[in-house]
Amino acid sequence: MKWKHIMTVFKKELKDIVRDRKTLFSSIVVPIFLMPVIFLLVGGGTARMSEEMTTNITVALSEDSYSPAAQNFLKESLEAQDDEITVVDPVEDPWEAINSKKAKLVVSLDRDFEDKLENSEPFTLKIYYDNSLSRSGGAVGALRSAINKLNGIIAEQRLEALGINPELLTPVVVETENISKTGDGNMMLMMLLPMIIAMLVAVGGIPAATDLVAGEKERMTFEPLLTTRPSRMSILIGKYLTINVFSFASVISTLAGILLAFLINPRSITMGMGQIGGFSLDYGSAVLCVIVTLLLGMTFSGLQLAISTYARSFKEGQTYLSLLMFVVIIPAYSTMMIMPNDIQLYMYLIPVLNTISAFKLVLGGLTNYTGLILAVVTSLVYVALSLLAAASMFRNEKYLFRS
Amino acid sequence: MIELIGLTKKFGNVTAVNNLSFTVRKGEIFGLLGENGAGKTTTLRMLATMLKPTSGTARLAGIDIIESPEEVRGRVGILFGGESGLYDRLTVYENIQYFGELNDMPVKEIKKRIQKLADAFGMNDFLNKRAGKLSKGMRQKASFARAIVHNPDVLLLDEPTSGLDVGAMREVQTFLMNQKEEGKTILFSSHTMSEVEKLCDRIAVIHKGVLADTGTTNQLFQKYRTQSLEELFVRLAGDGR
Ligand SMILES: Nc1ncnc2c1ncn2[C@@H]1O[C@H](COP(=O)(O)OP(=O)(O)OP(=O)(O)O)[C@@H](O)[C@H]1O
Ligand SMILES: [Mg+2]
Repeated sequence: MKWKHIMTVFKKELKDIVRDRKTLFSSIVVPIFLMPVIFLLVGGGTARMSEEMTTNITVALSEDSYSPAAQNFLKESLEAQDDEITVVDPVEDPWEAINSKKAKLVVSLDRDFEDKLENSEPFTLKIYYDNSLSRSGGAVGALRSAINKLNGIIAEQRLEALGINPELLTPVVVETENISKTGDGNMMLMMLLPMIIAMLVAVGGIPAATDLVAGEKERMTFEPLLTTRPSRMSILIGKYLTINVFSFASVISTLAGILLAFLINPRSITMGMGQIGGFSLDYGSAVLCVIVTLLLGMTFSGLQLAISTYARSFKEGQTYLSLLMFVVIIPAYSTMMIMPNDIQLYMYLIPVLNTISAFKLVLGGLTNYTGLILAVVTSLVYVALSLLAAASMFRNEKYLFRS
Repeated sequence: MIELIGLTKKFGNVTAVNNLSFTVRKGEIFGLLGENGAGKTTTLRMLATMLKPTSGTARLAGIDIIESPEEVRGRVGILFGGESGLYDRLTVYENIQYFGELNDMPVKEIKKRIQKLADAFGMNDFLNKRAGKLSKGMRQKASFARAIVHNPDVLLLDEPTSGLDVGAMREVQTFLMNQKEEGKTILFSSHTMSEVEKLCDRIAVIHKGVLADTGTTNQLFQKYRTQSLEELFVRLAGDGR
C-alpha cells in the first residue's frame, strides 16, 4: 500500500465524480435546495397551524340561543378578556359554520341567562368545536381561559357587593416559571437535526459508492485499473476516501440548506415551535460528538464499498444500497422523539443511534462523557470492521471478476 | 521472457487452466488459441496477476507473478476488453496520464510519453476530448496508448480484435507488429485463425485448460498434415483426438 497510489486514485475519482452530474446532483445540489423546501413547507405549515390556533379566534352564537342581549353579552364580556377573540354573526348550524370557516368556535347560552346572571345563579355556556380541525380544536383553550377570567371578574364583583374580600377565594396562589435551559425551538431542533445528520452521513456516500466499484465493473473500467501497478489495497483506500468525502459533503450541503431555510424564514427551522436559544454548549462533548459522526460516515463508507464490490452490476449495487438506506432510516425515525434525558447507555453503542444520541445530548446542553467515549471507542471498532469487510470483498476474486 | 510453469487455476470443481507450461521468447508474438471456455482469459488474468494461480507459477521478464505481483504489473502492458475500458468522463489525455501516474512515472516523463504516443497513433486531434464522446476507432487507439504508457517489456492482450470491423482489426495488427519491432514480447489470445497465421511466430493451443500443442504455425501444419489453421484447430481441439 502506497500513499502516492492512494492519492492518485483519490484525486482521479474526485475529478471523475465531480464530472458526473447525476452523482454530484444527488449528493450535493439536492440537499441544498431540498432542505429549505422541506423546512419552509413543513415548518411554515406547522407555524401557520399554531398561529391559527392562537390568533384571530372567531366565536359565533348559535341561532337557537340568539337574542340581541345574548349577542351583546358575548361581545362585551369575551372580547374584553382576549384581544384575539372576535364575536361574529350568529350561525345556524355549528358544524357547517366551523367547517366553512365562518367561525372557529360556536357557543350557545341558556335562554334565561340574563335572569340567572342577575340572580347570581350559574348558567351554562356551551362550546361547540370540531376536534378534527386544529384551528377549532386548538382554539377551545383560549376561549376557556377567557371565560375563566370572566368568571373571576364576575365573582369578584359579587363578593365585593356582599362586602367580602375576594382574596378569600384563592388560598393558594400558583406561580409557574419555565426554567428549562433550552428554548422551545431547541426541542424541535433536537428532534430533527440529529436524525437528519445521522441519516445523511450514513447514506450520503451511496451514489459515489455505487459508481466507484459496481459502476466501474459495469463500464468495464475496473479490470484495466487492477492491471496497473498499485496494490488492491491502495485502490481500495483511494476509493474509500472518495466515498467519505461525499458522505461528509452531503451533510455540509444539508446544513447549508438548513441555514438557507433559516435565512428565508427563521421560524421555519423550528417548525414554528418558538425560539432557539439558551444553548450551553459543552465543547468537550461537541468535539466527541463530531468525532462520532465522522466515524459513522467512515463505517458506512466502508460498508457501501463492500456492498458495491459484491454487486454484479450497477443496478444490483443500487438495490442493495437502497436496502442499506432502510437500515439507517428505521432507527433514525424511531428515536426521533427521544429527548436528551431519556437516552439509554446502550444507544451510544449502536451505529446511527450513537450519532443521534450524541447530537441530542449536545443540543440539550447535557454531558455524558461515559456515553460519548463509549460511542467513540465502539465506532472505531465498527470502522475497522467495515473496512475489513470491504477489503475482504476486494481481495476475493469471486466478487471482483464475476459477471 | 514469459515462462509458464505448471500454471493451474481451479474455480471450485472446475479446472479452468490445468498444469500449463510453455515459454514465449523475447521479441516474439505468441498466439494463445482455444475454443470458448478453453481457459485463455483465465491464463492471461493469472499472468497479469489479477487471479492467483491455484498452483504453479509464471515469470515475466524474469519476475515471478506470485512473489512480486506489483513489479510484474509495472513491467507489463495489459489490454483486456479492447476499447471498452476507458473512463468516459476523463479526456484521452487524462486517461493515459492516470495510468502513467499509477505506474509510478514522473509527471514530466508522462507528458513527453503522451505526446510521443499521440503522434504515433494520430491522436492529437482528440487528445483533450472526453473519451465518452469518441468513435470506437479513436477509443481503441487511446486504449492502446494507455496500455503502453509506461513502455512495458511485455504485452498481454485478450482477444484484441474480437468484435472489430476489418479496418479496426488491421489497426490492431499494425499496432502489434510495430510493438514487436520495438522489441516487445507479446502474448495474445484469439479466435481468429487468419490473424494468428499472419502475426504469430508461434502458437499454443489449449483445450479445456490443458495445453494441446505448441510450436510455430508451420511446424504444427506439417505435424498434423494440414494447410489451414482452422483444420488444425479442429483436430487438436476436437474431442476424442
Ligand atoms: N471467475 C470465475 N468463476 C468461476 N468460473 C470461472 C471464472 N472465470 C472463468 N471461469 C470458468 O473457467 C473456464 C475458462 O474460462 P475462460 O474465460 O478462461 O475461457 P476463454 O478461453 O477465455 O473463453 P472465451 O473464448 O469464451 O473467452 C470456463 O469454464 C469458465 O466458465
Ligand atoms: Mg476469454
